[in-house]
Amino acid sequence: MSAFLRVTAVVLLSVGADTAGAHSPIEGIDGFYGGLLHPILVPAHALGLLALGLFIGQQDSRHRRGAAAMFAVALVVGLAAIVLAVGQTPAGEVLLADAAALGALVAIARPPPRPVGWLAAAVTGATIGLDSPPQVISMALGTITLIGTGLGACITLAIVVEVTSYLRRDWQQLGMRILGSWIAASAMLALAVRWAR
Amino acid sequence: MLRSKFMLQALLVLAAAVAAECPAFAHSGDGFSGGFTGGFAHPIFGPDHVIAMVAVGLWGAFLGAPAIWLLPIVFPLVMAFGGVLGILGVPLPGVETAIAISAVVLGLMVALAARPPLWVAAALVGGFAIFHGHAHGAELPAGANSVAFSAGFVVATGLLHLAGISFGLLARWPAGRLAVRAAGGAIALAGVAFLSGMR
Repeated sequence: MSAFLRVTAVVLLSVGADTAGAHSPIEGIDGFYGGLLHPILVPAHALGLLALGLFIGQQDSRHRRGAAAMFAVALVVGLAAIVLAVGQTPAGEVLLADAAALGALVAIARPPPRPVGWLAAAVTGATIGLDSPPQVISMALGTITLIGTGLGACITLAIVVEVTSYLRRDWQQLGMRILGSWIAASAMLALAVRWAR
Repeated sequence: MLRSKFMLQALLVLAAAVAAECPAFAHSGDGFSGGFTGGFAHPIFGPDHVIAMVAVGLWGAFLGAPAIWLLPIVFPLVMAFGGVLGILGVPLPGVETAIAISAVVLGLMVALAARPPLWVAAALVGGFAIFHGHAHGAELPAGANSVAFSAGFVVATGLLHLAGISFGLLARWPAGRLAVRAAGGAIALAGVAFLSGMR
């Protein structure tokens, strides 16, 4: 299967998976594995990871590591904040706004200054972390779930970046830009729905 | 050979995505209005929207590069802006009429093989995109999963463009050109029917 189809499959299957909805537990899967699947089963998180993965994958290979590192560090900080019982945050809305901006950057295919990319990566990581409170009773199970979430988000991002980095032909680049505009449009609409509610 | 293999793989991906929807749909209890499936079905079950989106693709193919690739990138973004207006309840006059007019105008552009400057085509299509987005945004069901629904809606609209572009590529051959222009004429006539209230 070509790399473009692999990315398309990831997009369709991940945004289509609305079972998890608004952080409802995944039936039959909890703890570490529930956390592992959480980033791809929550549509907003999957959208954010896809947008960031496409964005980083579009960059020059020298610039990828910095953005990926910023994402990982911010993700750990976000998850740690959950462990420290931080209160309600607008992380879901910020994540969607970030996904819209990243999708638009992918669509225009003009990389911004490096710090802007790093900031966007950090925002994605922190908001996914903050928006992943585990629905469990015990502290130990909650921590294990959060470790799974962190790992799942990093693995998902790494896969998208890796696949995207192989898409170098003109029509593949074009496909990525179209995907970016779809992500931006979806995130804008979803954000408006949340504001309206 | 390679192309048919690619098409087969693309169909398998699409089939897997649709199949993956079924258990989620049954499990979520959102009904048909919720999630990716609901969003995907929304534009497809609006015939006025379908013909206008296909016309956009046809015209893009007729205009050639860069319109053929610029269009599927710009249209969803402008449509989303219209959708945001609709969701937030910002009134826009004559939305349904504008959608019917979009089918008439875009159909005529294809039928007449019109080749205006790119900015004129972009402004025309972008203007209509706001009305299409507004209509769908205003009709978005309250109980739907917002991200999955929006993604389904945008992907379906994008695929309608791609369907139009694919058919429009037939215009490379004389007989295909005739078929594409005839399709444009049919779309314009359907738009007139929508405009006169025949649905």
